[in-house]
Amino acid sequence: MNAFQDILIFVVATPGVIFAVFGLLWMMDRVPSERLLSWITGLTFAACTSGVAALVWKIASASSITVTFGSWFAVGSYHFPLVLMVDRLSVPFLALAAVLSGLIGQFSATYLHRESGFLRFFLLLHLFAFGSLLAFAAGSFDLLAAGWEIVGITSVFLIGFFERRPAPVENGLYVFGIYRACDIGLLVGIFAMHHWAGTASFESGFPTLTGARAVVVCLLLLLAASGKAAQVPFSGWLPRAMEGPTPSSAIFYGAISIHAGAYLLLRAQPLLAQSMLASFLVILIGAATAIHGTIVGRASADAKTSLAYATLTQVGIVFIEIGLGWRWLAMAHIMGNATVRTMQYLRAPSMLHDYHQMHSAIGGELSPTGKQIEDMLPERVQLWLYRWALDRGHLDTMIERWVVAPLSQLSAYLSGRDRTPVRSHTTIRPGRAVEVSIAGPTERSH
Amino acid sequence: MPLPGWVLRTSFLTSVSIAAPWLAAAVVTTFRRQARIFGCIATLLSILACTALVWRAPNGESLYETLMLLFSSLTLGAILLLSRRDSGTGTIAEILTLLGSTLLAYSTGNLLVLLGAWILSIAPFLWASWFGARRWRPMIGLLSSSFAIALAIGFIVVRTGVFSIPHLKGQSPGGVVAFALLIVAVIFRKGIIPAQAWVADAAESGPLLPTALLLNGHFGALLVVKLIVPLFPETDHRFPVLSYLAIATAVFVAIRALAENSPRRLLAFLALSQSACILSGLESRTAEGMTGALVHWVVVTVSTVGLFGILRLLEVRFGENLSASRHLGLAEHAPRLAVSFAILGLALVGLPGTLGFCSQDLLIHGTLTTHPLTGLLLPIATAMNAVSFFRLFTRLFLGKRRTGFTIAADALPRERWVLAATVLFVVLGGLFPNATVIEHSSGVDVVDQASFPFDNLNRGKGYADKNSSVQYPGPKSKSSAGLEVDGAEQRPMGVYR
Repeated sequence: MNAFQDILIFVVATPGVIFAVFGLLWMMDRVPSERLLSWITGLTFAACTSGVAALVWKIASASSITVTFGSWFAVGSYHFPLVLMVDRLSVPFLALAAVLSGLIGQFSATYLHRESGFLRFFLLLHLFAFGSLLAFAAGSFDLLAAGWEIVGITSVFLIGFFERRPAPVENGLYVFGIYRACDIGLLVGIFAMHHWAGTASFESGFPTLTGARAVVVCLLLLLAASGKAAQVPFSGWLPRAMEGPTPSSAIFYGAISIHAGAYLLLRAQPLLAQSMLASFLVILIGAATAIHGTIVGRASADAKTSLAYATLTQVGIVFIEIGLGWRWLAMAHIMGNATVRTMQYLRAPSMLHDYHQMHSAIGGELSPTGKQIEDMLPERVQLWLYRWALDRGHLDTMIERWVVAPLSQLSAYLSGRDRTPVRSHTTIRPGRAVEVSIAGPTERSH
Repeated sequence: MPLPGWVLRTSFLTSVSIAAPWLAAAVVTTFRRQARIFGCIATLLSILACTALVWRAPNGESLYETLMLLFSSLTLGAILLLSRRDSGTGTIAEILTLLGSTLLAYSTGNLLVLLGAWILSIAPFLWASWFGARRWRPMIGLLSSSFAIALAIGFIVVRTGVFSIPHLKGQSPGGVVAFALLIVAVIFRKGIIPAQAWVADAAESGPLLPTALLLNGHFGALLVVKLIVPLFPETDHRFPVLSYLAIATAVFVAIRALAENSPRRLLAFLALSQSACILSGLESRTAEGMTGALVHWVVVTVSTVGLFGILRLLEVRFGENLSASRHLGLAEHAPRLAVSFAILGLALVGLPGTLGFCSQDLLIHGTLTTHPLTGLLLPIATAMNAVSFFRLFTRLFLGKRRTGFTIAADALPRERWVLAATVLFVVLGGLFPNATVIEHSSGVDVVDQASFPFDNLNRGKGYADKNSSVQYPGPKSKSSAGLEVDGAEQRPMGVYR
């Protein structure tokens, strides 16, 4: 194993190790001070960034760096390959994840100073960095899925970071539901690759699939990518995710997590190129999302939601570029969008202050931009679009009405069918709030 | 000093593992003092004996020994997790009886002993009227399963006159009638549709930890592994019915859980939905599916006992009327319970980095290979379960902090050690799954040995799956003489354990 392979392992594993160590210490009642935690976080990501810089230098002269550990587990003909790989597609994403995680760590040390969830935030930041680095450095879709899921779960926990308020918690649950539903596409897609191509590994070439099989796998991966990247019709979760602390919104929904779907499609580009239908659908979804994002964003009342829709618009355009096969343009677009949005998110809490400074500097107000397009539309259309935008394109309503409500009704119906009358007077009926008591008298056996 | 030979004999170790808890149950019932200490000592003895059994078992034939070790360890954990108010002599004695009978069922190769163990395992629940107001459905479920298995075994014995399971291998003893009765027994005991309702009733009105142990004995799956697969190879075309019912149960119960607000019932639904997947994996008859099913058996057992244990600790601290209908904010009072609950629950629904991820991955691959359409329902059911679990977690632990609590609400040191061990098991098992997976791949051989020699697939050269073009290599197994042989055709007929 050469030095660059060691560096790759170090870059991916270090945040995970830090998470495990601090998690275990917490379980043993040892809580590190804020200063120690931020110092170690800074050191970790500085080391990771240096490691990624070395990898970039190496990748400039070599096509890829691969580390093969064998199989995570193997049964019969099936095995879960444990392969890390860096190539020219993944190294910019690794750099983005390492640099921005460090940046967010440093920003949060001040931003979340004396916040009750300070340790929790940093633990989740390390876990997120581990998950994203694992997903980007994976040499197979199996390992990519593992990192992908870790990113998803940390994202959900950070949305519910301010756990005393019900809204963030409920929004976290909504996002979790969308993620899990769309991840079915990734899981089944990976299975299909194993089943039809015998492997889901791409370290030595993409799994060979043609015809209808390629289309099916592409569509399944597109479902997963659309969920993660908040593409239409799953865009409704993005504004809900803004309930989390600003630093996590910046790194998740300005930079890494929101672009992970695009990364998945870029990784599956050889397959997409074989399927006109899938490419067309990618373009269609991207275009719909871009239009949706730009219209809804104009009616958003708060800074973070406006930024979320601005990001969404750009990610939609990235999808179009991927569908058209403009791979390197999409890459450049992702890098630019991610860095600019991270900066904008981090400045969002100080937006009024920034505006005041700018107004003072130029001696008046900034001229408003972006209004010209909608002014060209008839007034009735403007009004209709405004209502449409206020309800965020009715996407949440549609999911609520066509998916959540029928499932809930079916569940409630089944619940009514299988409940039996009991003599006890403490039956808890669905939908009723029940007071928590301190060990009151009970008729239930233990 | 070297141990005398008889101490390490399999029969002696098995007897110790079973007799110790039964003896302790008798002692506890008689003297009515120090029940927890007697219980711990007896369970520790069982664990030691089971560990020796695993160590002594030939390579690749340690499935039941591993399950015995797992169940006795979980029983020790459950006894330690019992709160003071729950740890009466009656409860400990009944848990110990359940342990002894479960270990007996795992270890026996005799039909009548299996029937006896089956009935003994439910005796404490019927004897003590543990299910209270809702008891009729658990009673009917458990009694029907016992009745069905008694009829099936009676039918087999009358038709063949043989009690030994190894001697009946591959003979379809009792024909379709016995097979159907065994399937009925599995359906009732495991809570498969249409007999799914008793599981939630048992969890809601029964004692939580003993009920969790009863459910996690997985006697239904045991019956599939021990009798149905090896004894009835010619009923291959009927066996998928059980798999379809299991998948239907997984989906039905997952939907049912979406609107459930009682934490006990919700956890019972999750446990049932996830454990139904075990049957579909076993039925898939692919190496991945069967291994996934056996690993999932372990994951479901460990996770659900841990989850039920934590829920009971919360009930003891915050009152028994906990509900998922609104946010209770218990994490601020009990952060370590919250973290353990989250990890165990996410392991149950397949979070990466936990053993649940490996088992789900294998299960989904195995089931989709055999049943591409119905198998698709498995990840959908798992996704719904994940949402239900996360809803329960957020409702119980997140939200506005409750005021007025002055007691220490987080895990006590005794409880913390048990929960830490459980969490470490699912996490380390997930990070280094080969130890577990390989162990259970060996278990697959044990399950397979009986069935595959009798179907016409040449596993020596790689066997073709029923519905796919994929070729699986024939696994290696050890003969009774310890020689490694390739393929099923060369396997001796009587090495079933």
